[in-house]
Amino acid sequence: MSTQTSITGNGDNLKTLVVVFLRGGADGLNMVAPAHDPGYHNARPRIAIKDTDTGAAKLDGSFVLNPLLKDLATPYHDNALAVVHAVGSEDATRSHFEAQDLMERAGDVAGGWLGRYLRFRGATTTGALSAIAVSRALPESLRGAPSATVMRSLEDFTLGKGGGPLQASLEKLYAKEHDALGNSARDTLKALSRIEDLRNATYAPAHGANYERDDFSQGMKQVARLIKARVGLEAVSLDIGGWDSHITQSAIMDPQMRKLNTGLSAFYRDLGKTMEHVTVVVLTEFGRRLAENSAFGTDHGRGSVMFLMGGGVKGGRVLTKWPGLTKDVLEGPGDVPVTINYRDVLAPILQRHHPKVDLAKVFPDYELKPQVVYG
Amino acid sequence: MNFSRRHFLQTGSTASLAAVAVGCDKLEVPDALRIGPRAVAPPDGPFATPTGKDIDLVSQALNRLTFGARPWDYQRTRKLGMTEEAAFAAFLDQQLAPEKIDDPNCENATRRFELLHEPLGELFEYQDKHLLDALVRSTVLRAVFTERQLYEVMVNFWSDHFNIDPSKGDAKWLKVADDRDVIRAHALGKFPAMLRASALSPAMLWYLDGRVNKKANDADKPNENSARELLELHTLGVHGGYSQKDVMEVARCLTGWGVQEVGRSKLNLGSVEFKPYQHDRGEKVVLGHVIPGIPKKANAAEIEKLGRAELDTVLGIIGLHPSTAKFIATKLCQRFIADAPPAAAVSAVAEQFIASGGDIPGTLRALFATDAFLTTRGNKLKRPFHYIVSTLRATHATTDAGSAIQDYLLRMGHAPFHYPTPDGYPEEAAPWLGTLLWRWNFAVALTKNELGNATKLDADKLRASFATEENQMAHFLGRAPTADEVTACKESGAPLALLLASPSFQKC
Repeated sequence: MSTQTSITGNGDNLKTLVVVFLRGGADGLNMVAPAHDPGYHNARPRIAIKDTDTGAAKLDGSFVLNPLLKDLATPYHDNALAVVHAVGSEDATRSHFEAQDLMERAGDVAGGWLGRYLRFRGATTTGALSAIAVSRALPESLRGAPSATVMRSLEDFTLGKGGGPLQASLEKLYAKEHDALGNSARDTLKALSRIEDLRNATYAPAHGANYERDDFSQGMKQVARLIKARVGLEAVSLDIGGWDSHITQSAIMDPQMRKLNTGLSAFYRDLGKTMEHVTVVVLTEFGRRLAENSAFGTDHGRGSVMFLMGGGVKGGRVLTKWPGLTKDVLEGPGDVPVTINYRDVLAPILQRHHPKVDLAKVFPDYELKPQVVYG
Repeated sequence: MNFSRRHFLQTGSTASLAAVAVGCDKLEVPDALRIGPRAVAPPDGPFATPTGKDIDLVSQALNRLTFGARPWDYQRTRKLGMTEEAAFAAFLDQQLAPEKIDDPNCENATRRFELLHEPLGELFEYQDKHLLDALVRSTVLRAVFTERQLYEVMVNFWSDHFNIDPSKGDAKWLKVADDRDVIRAHALGKFPAMLRASALSPAMLWYLDGRVNKKANDADKPNENSARELLELHTLGVHGGYSQKDVMEVARCLTGWGVQEVGRSKLNLGSVEFKPYQHDRGEKVVLGHVIPGIPKKANAAEIEKLGRAELDTVLGIIGLHPSTAKFIATKLCQRFIADAPPAAAVSAVAEQFIASGGDIPGTLRALFATDAFLTTRGNKLKRPFHYIVSTLRATHATTDAGSAIQDYLLRMGHAPFHYPTPDGYPEEAAPWLGTLLWRWNFAVALTKNELGNATKLDADKLRASFATEENQMAHFLGRAPTADEVTACKESGAPLALLLASPSFQKC
């Protein structure tokens, strides 16, 4: 952990939740392949991943990692990364819009689950930088948060161009305020000046971590810097789009998997021991059909994967109620059914981060059956 | 200025022909051809501003009874009486009779949202997201432009008290009717009437599951959600002296009410109905009051009559109950006085609430007469909605309440009609303290005119509205500036942004 003290109001044992949304319906069967299931190879004669493929890391007796995700084998074998398989939501429309909407909102209710988590997490105060979306607009999941920031990069954290004198004047005025508003202003100003310092310094990721130049890696780098600067970050949302692999699956998915692989693994190396206080959750709105289509692609399906990294999750395993891939278990047009609801994976993580969180308000109208995420 | 529609269409078409004929793209529409009332220009400046070193009673009134002072409001309000007290009393009289206040600018600003006036069933013709956008925008625009400020402040108060999250089910369409027919219809009316309207609001019946609360056979268990929130949030308050048994009994009394749903009937869509065969006919006891069972021999018409009447019996028991009076009085005092208001003020307001039969203007008069209200000034943190609206009013900015404004409200977690749980947005300061950075950013963006094309202020014109720089500061602060504030303004390089971002402007 950095020697800097945490900005007050957010507690000194602050945990950060980083949510990565793979938009477009990422194919879990291609990322974490059931390489020993004959049903998989029969349905995908041309595009299946084989455990003999170069770089395909064996996870357990049943699953192998896509070679393009090979660097995730390191946290997996450190027991810091878990895969959840055949996971997803109850939405069966197979519509991107509907399924993303449901997954981010988690019900017929205002705001997103991440926003409601922040509002009902049982903390009395919320820092200026408690929630950040690394994107152009506020994602649905963060709607309703008591304070949410949208940023592309650290450059966005200013009081406008030439805001220095304004900031200095505000500092003087708020110095005279001795109530909660004054304290909050001082925290906010402190956060601004720490970010100012970050902006002016070149950042050297720790442990030789190497962030690539794509948006996702750059976003993860900014998140790592903010976590190390201890500005009070509690929830982060990032996206990787472009997973809708209807044709030539590899041409569509391979570049996205490369981004996911390098971004996550650089973040993991960079944070080192700090990963204990940071949980990364990767999810997608739905998986793809088991059978490949005539265009070497896959169509919209149901169950997919989630990745859970850091934060003390019990890693080194594939958490699944694997249904098998026989005809009788496939759902609708031939899709891996959802045997674990994503809320049941998120709930224990939110509770770990904030034991007093009111989960009934975060996930209303849903009877939780929490999965065993921790050892 | 009321034109008949035909008259308007004739003159309108003449005007457009003229525009085509001259090919002029900067056609000035003559006032006589405009739709709606003539816009009223603000009075001429320079305007008088507060002179005291503390907030005076007139500024207190503008801080608490309105969404913030416009450049001329202090002068105009102060002139209503010889003394501050007389001016305040006259202002209060005006504000408590909103129907007598002309409101042309607000009518013009919200005229485009005609869909909000559609009858219940017609609302389903619109996409829900368009309805929500119209509702949010018109709510912001009314707060900014209306002269009926206290009415709008109370609309804001009751919207939280009877909060409905329009994400749920048919509330997506029906919340528009609830806002109009429950909240706005009764915001300065009688509490018991508003309570009844809310209990029978189709949006509320959806939101709190009242529509599925039924006892059609022995296996049916009444749905308690609606009964619980009716007691806990709408009337008695959580410590209001009711038991779990009372919740269950109230739920039984309310069985049988439903809403015509999408997919079932095209007729009367969204209208409320009572289904006698789904009503629990047994005896109930609510807070000690026995409500006799409906006789076994009763015919359908009798069951319907007696079953419907149980709703009114329940509301009669709880509507003006001492716990309800205390609960409503506490919330009003938290809104208008302090997050932790003194008990004496709460009792005075509660007494008047009961004595007046839940008359909201009468209750507010009692509140505004308490020592606590008159002397507790500048201590309340503006919630983000109040903050944003007050910046637009203070700077006399134009706005369309479009995406730039809504984005800020969303980021600060205070967009209208976006709160998930039935307790409504919190009133106290603590949950909003994390929003300072976004208030400051908003102040910078507004004063640099970086909030899109439709939200603009004219800093030169604003400055010319006041005789001196210090007068302008006094307008924003509601009192004469301190030496520190004068220095900070000078040093900041952005005096308007500094004022809007300053500690005093966060409060009211």
